[in-house]
Order: sequence, then C-alpha cells, then structure tokens
Amino acid sequence: MTAPFVLTQDISLLSAVILGIFFGLFLERGGLGDPHKLTGVFYLTDFAVPKVMFTAIVVAAAGLHVLSDIGLLDMSRVWIVPTFFWPQIVGGAIFGAGFVISGYCPGTAVAGFASGRLDALVTLAGIAAGSLVFAVAYPYIEVFYMSSPMGKSVLPAIFKVSHWQVIAILAGLAVVMFLIMEIFERRRRLS
Amino acid sequence: MKKNNFWSPYIAGIGLGITLLATFYVVGWGLAASSAFSLLAGVGTREISPEYAGTLKYFARYLNVASPLLNWVLFEIGGLFLGALAGSLLSGNFRLKFDKASGMKNGTRLLTAFTGGMLIGFASRLSRGCTSGVALSGGAQLALSGWIFVIAMFISGFIMAAFFRRLWS
Repeated sequence: MTAPFVLTQDISLLSAVILGIFFGLFLERGGLGDPHKLTGVFYLTDFAVPKVMFTAIVVAAAGLHVLSDIGLLDMSRVWIVPTFFWPQIVGGAIFGAGFVISGYCPGTAVAGFASGRLDALVTLAGIAAGSLVFAVAYPYIEVFYMSSPMGKSVLPAIFKVSHWQVIAILAGLAVVMFLIMEIFERRRRLS
Repeated sequence: MKKNNFWSPYIAGIGLGITLLATFYVVGWGLAASSAFSLLAGVGTREISPEYAGTLKYFARYLNVASPLLNWVLFEIGGLFLGALAGSLLSGNFRLKFDKASGMKNGTRLLTAFTGGMLIGFASRLSRGCTSGVALSGGAQLALSGWIFVIAMFISGFIMAAFFRRLWS
C-alpha cells in the first residue's frame, strides 16, 4: 500500500499525539524552547534556529523525494503548502518582527512553556489574540489574503530543474552556512 | 554564559527532519502549530458569544465541523507539549520562570511577550501557517511558499534586532 494512508479519526489523532511528542522533544533538546537561543540568530550570537531548521528541512526533503522516487509515497496525495506570493512575503515580514519581539514562534512557545517559561504562555495567548484580530479584520483584508495565488508552486518546476538538483544546492548552501556560523560562534567564545 | 545540556543542533535537526518525514508519510501533510491557537481563538469566541463567532467568516473553517476540538494540529500540539515537557524534565532543564533579557522589567516583558505573539498570530493567518506549517513543511516540499516566508522572516527579524538590540541581547 502506498503512503500517505487513509486513517480513521482515532488513529489519525493518535498519530498527531505521537508525532507531536517527537516534535516537542527535538525542539526542546535542540534548545528551541529557550528565547535567548531562539533570538540568537538575529543578533548573530547563537545559530541554533537555522542549524536545527535547515538540517531538518534537508533531511525531510531528501527523505520525501527518495520515498516518492521509489514509489513508497504518492506525492500527488501529499498536501503541498499553497503559495500566495505577496501575502506570504508580508506575513513572513510581520512574523519576523513578532519573533524578535516575543522571542518565540508558535511551536517553540509551546516548547518554552513546557520547559517552565510562563512568558511563553503569554505569547501563546497573544498568538490566539492575533488570530482573533485577523478573523475580525478578515472582511477588509480578504482581497489581499487571496491575492497573487500561485497554487502548488515548487522550486524545481519554477527553475525547470530536477528536485535532486534543488536538494543538492540547498544541502550545499546549508553546509556553507553552517561552517560560517561555527566560525562566528567560535570567535565569540574566544573573545 | 550559563551552561546548558542541549543536544547538538544538528542531531536535533536530524530528529526533527525524520519526524517531519514520518508525518508526511503517515498522514500526508506536514507539522504545524499556529492554527491550533487560531482554532482555540475561534472556539473561545463561540463560547463567549455564539452569535458574534457566527459572523466571523474566517473562523467558519474551524467551527463548521462536528467536533472542532478533535483537530489533528491541536492534538499534535498536545503531543508537542508532552514531548518538550519530558525532554526538559529528564534533562533537568525544567525551570519555572518568567524569561526575559537581563535588565528588562517584568511589565515590559509582559508587553513584548503578548504583542509579539499578536503579530505572530496575525502573520501566521495571512501566510497560511508559521515556521512549522509553512517554513519547515513547505521548505521540505521545496514549495515556493516555504522559501519566500523564510527569507522574508529572516530579513525582517535582522532589521528588527538591529533597531531593538535591548529586546534580547
């Protein structure tokens, strides 16, 4: 049988809890429940966020396309995150500001709260409040929200190259970036 | 600098990548986070005022189902909490505290924690997800959405950090 699977609601929710446990464990153990480490990248002092994030992306991207290439996973049934170009650029920019101000993002705020940080609970309340503001403002921003739709745009199709070429370039860029970050961190420790 | 016993970020990243891959494989979508809090905001609004919640078109996606709380992302967030709690307790890293930059007043931190969260909540809805649902999951799918979000987020974060150094450094 080819993945992904059609699950009953009970099994689906059970899978959510189990996968969530590993998600939380690796976030916390990677140091991503700590707002000082989370914001370190923006102050060029601690690069835990990009290291964890880009390692995870390259591993998952390679695994996903291996499974798809050998026919174990039907990529056409995987939900691809849709692109809405300008809303996601503007959203990303507002998100970055919120990230630096609060010191968290949604998943890492849960990890921060789970490791005893009460300020992370305040951020989670803020995230819920911000969602409510969005829902209230929705009639006024719906036109922008739905603008520049690009559907399931993926980099290999845009650049007309194979997915392995994209993954190889991303992996190469990640390694170069990691080396620069290690040099930066070593300099700080010595100084 | 205080000592910590965190794992190598590369090891944690490999573990997170395998978890993300397993999620795609089993359920056919990626990891997510922000929508759990949008859903809770919708359910909360309906608890306080069902009439008003009914007028909010955006929340219909969460509320027009048989049991809104039996939601995959919400259960995944429950698991995330348990996994992070287990990780911090077992490593002795659990500390009850109100974390902030050294020298920042508690009132200021309350304000930054909440307003930063509000910006994140609003931005995540506009972007169709956050660092988990768009950046990580979309990034691994090589989706354009994930990469434009990541680039915009880092550029904006660097600019913010340059102007507001005392927030964290």
